[in-house]
Amino acid sequence: MLKIKEILQEFNTEYIEDYKTTWVKAKIKDATDIAVVAQRLKKNGLRTIATISPTDFIDENKIEMNYFFEDLITKRNCWLKCDIPRELEQCKIESLTPFFKGANWHEREAFSMFGVKFINHPDLRPIIVSQDFYDKTPFRKDFDWDAHEADTLKNIQTIVDAFKDEEDENDKGIGEDSSETVLNWGPTHPASGPIRLKVHCDGEDVIGIDPDIGFVWRALEHLVTKKDFIGAIVAVERLCFMDNINSMVGYVQAVEEIADVEITEFAKWMRVLLGEVSRISSHAMGMGGFYNALGLHTVAMWNMDIREFFLDFLESYSGARIATAAIEPGGVRYGLQENMLKELQLGLDKFDNTKEDIKAIFINNPTMKMRASKQGIISPDMVEDYSLCGVVARSSGVKVDVRIDEPYAAYDQVKMDYVVQKDGSAKDRLVNLFEELEQSIDIIKQAKKHIEVGIASGKFNPTKDHMVKVPKKLPKGEAISRVEWSRGEVLMHLVTQEKATSPYRLKMKAPSFNHTMMLDKLLAGQTLSDIPLIFGSLYICQGDLDR
Amino acid sequence: MEMIFNIVVFPGILYILLWTVALFWFFRKFMAALHKRVGPSFNGPAGSYQTLFDLSKLLTKESITPDGVNPYLFSIMPILAATIAIVPTAVIPWTEYVTVVKSEYSLLALVVLIGIEPFLLFLTGFGSNNKYSFLGGIRVLTQMISMETAFFLSALSPALLFGTLSLTSIVEQSSFVSFIILLPGFMLYFIALLGLLDQPPFNIPDAEQEIVYGFYTEYSGTNYFLLKLAEFAEFMAVFAGAATLFLGGYKGLLFDGYSFLFLKMLLIAMLMMAIRAATPRITMKQMLNFSWSYLVPLSLLNAAWIMFAKIFLIGGVS
Repeated sequence: MLKIKEILQEFNTEYIEDYKTTWVKAKIKDATDIAVVAQRLKKNGLRTIATISPTDFIDENKIEMNYFFEDLITKRNCWLKCDIPRELEQCKIESLTPFFKGANWHEREAFSMFGVKFINHPDLRPIIVSQDFYDKTPFRKDFDWDAHEADTLKNIQTIVDAFKDEEDENDKGIGEDSSETVLNWGPTHPASGPIRLKVHCDGEDVIGIDPDIGFVWRALEHLVTKKDFIGAIVAVERLCFMDNINSMVGYVQAVEEIADVEITEFAKWMRVLLGEVSRISSHAMGMGGFYNALGLHTVAMWNMDIREFFLDFLESYSGARIATAAIEPGGVRYGLQENMLKELQLGLDKFDNTKEDIKAIFINNPTMKMRASKQGIISPDMVEDYSLCGVVARSSGVKVDVRIDEPYAAYDQVKMDYVVQKDGSAKDRLVNLFEELEQSIDIIKQAKKHIEVGIASGKFNPTKDHMVKVPKKLPKGEAISRVEWSRGEVLMHLVTQEKATSPYRLKMKAPSFNHTMMLDKLLAGQTLSDIPLIFGSLYICQGDLDR
Repeated sequence: MEMIFNIVVFPGILYILLWTVALFWFFRKFMAALHKRVGPSFNGPAGSYQTLFDLSKLLTKESITPDGVNPYLFSIMPILAATIAIVPTAVIPWTEYVTVVKSEYSLLALVVLIGIEPFLLFLTGFGSNNKYSFLGGIRVLTQMISMETAFFLSALSPALLFGTLSLTSIVEQSSFVSFIILLPGFMLYFIALLGLLDQPPFNIPDAEQEIVYGFYTEYSGTNYFLLKLAEFAEFMAVFAGAATLFLGGYKGLLFDGYSFLFLKMLLIAMLMMAIRAATPRITMKQMLNFSWSYLVPLSLLNAAWIMFAKIFLIGGVS
């Protein structure tokens, strides 16, 4: 940490301060320094860039750039800011992609949403947004959404024209005798989900992959600014509904930090409990997705059977099975009744009864090992360079887990360890998913016991303790909050204005974005059969890919 | 009169339709049990009308012919495929008395008719003017070439053992001893059968997650129904072939009859489904490697074993 500060002191900075336990927050005065600072930080071990988040301050006529650098090994992080002019022509900054490969798509996103131009970026095309948003800046505060929506037919025509142009373009440049072609793997492909991979292939061999994303872009980051702080949770949880609890936890922690509210012990344990239930529901689907990609649907069905019990618990707790909206600034939304824990016990028993079967048939499956143990290998170096996180990073042997690195809620009292594999192949990612399922079950048991003991001893009052009051209006401030989401680290960067009733800017860094960036790297030179395997093993959800 | 009955009812059109509908339903129900699901349950007892309704739906739906294909090739292929798939039923001895075409060379006819089928499926893929269909067609062809060698070699092992190409006399001569001797041949036949019928782990030609639906992709309505009928008729020919060649056909425990043949075919179907529920798909390269480095040498070895058994175990060359 000291070392980081020393490096930053060499430059012209506005302030350098400690932030939380693992962060150094600094603002550099001169935006042209950014590339040099970043390179110095990289040499010092901060090799990963979590995300790049511009904030549009229209009153001060500036765009504030936020860079989040992380060191996955020693857990030191740096939050770097700098201002750039807001006028479209001067809104430029040096690109970090030449040094940080993981910055690539994040810079493209900032370019499409805010019109920030990155100098020296190798491939600065718009991403996520459809063609009718090209050369516009949808996330800037002065963007007129109503005017854009007014002529829907024209917008659709733009998209259609662009698609036809591309169709014509595809077969050009390919010789008469060549067997090369462009396959559209998605968005209506049986295994793709709403994502389109433009697969350049020669017969069965893949030459390269260009993912086209944004088919489920809901502009969530813009949507939350139209809602109040409580209403925003329903937008945040739609990051991906498979694991909706943990994304809400990330958001409400940022709100609580700005409001300076400390939640009760009971609410903290409830967040652990609900979060792990949600993680199970996501991981169970993830394992199913991996095998679905190999043409075997049994795992998905068996896991769905287990998952039902946990969804039953979520339903009796919050009234909804999938989109629960159960975490609120100030705690958790509902109190806990005793019969709910009994229902949870049914799920735990179900898992314990089934897990040996699943392990024997599907985790140790020889055909799966034959397919997957040599495919899609991600080395620890690649994890750091491409900013990978979560299950994908851990299966490559990188010990990273926000629950342990920067404990939130009651995770500091939970007994747990990193679940890691060695080789980082597709098989390892499946095995890791299963072992994390077991770990989550273990954490649930701990949390359940703790809550039961607390209630029995009168320490917790389950019907009153779940909420503390959070003021409706928040002061000016900003906060970041990290949570270990089921797919990896989610970083929420929340900015509020004076007497705010709704967020001014919320940046959600979601893991699938980085993982999808890897596809071309992993699949070039492989065969068509490996596309679903590797795509399935990366545990990608289009919800948090597009946001 | 008998001929007309054979063509229209048993073992002809009606029987095959009934088989297709019933087996489809059975596959769904059996798979559902393995998946811990319920499967079709609303229409009829245990959802048994469901496939019947599906059939009527497919027959009444529009058959879409895509732009830029040869419509004749596109539409004639499903008819041809279904016809060729149905013909083998004529040479199989269903019971002691029912064999439509009695021939000295019925085994040869069976094997050849089963062997033609993938060519037709390749042509359906080729004629669809779709990248996925084309890839599927090529995959069918590749898989067929590598699987049929083993299939033929193992299918001919009973012929070697009994010294006849007539299915009727193979069934007549079969006994418990011959079943034991033919067991390795049966296993090889079963593995090759999985490859031939595009079943997991060899469902490479219609790998949904890779190339959508392979050669089926552009087909809909009646044409799709005909292709499915061809697939299920081929199931029947191959299952019945297995039961006849290795498991003693219609021979039963206390009495002989069609029900025993049916039971044997059902057992093979169940084995196939169980493998389907527990095995992911392998890749093209792995399939080629498996077929040429293991399956084909093993089936040659099996032929040697049959000859050895014939000479030294059951009394020499007659």
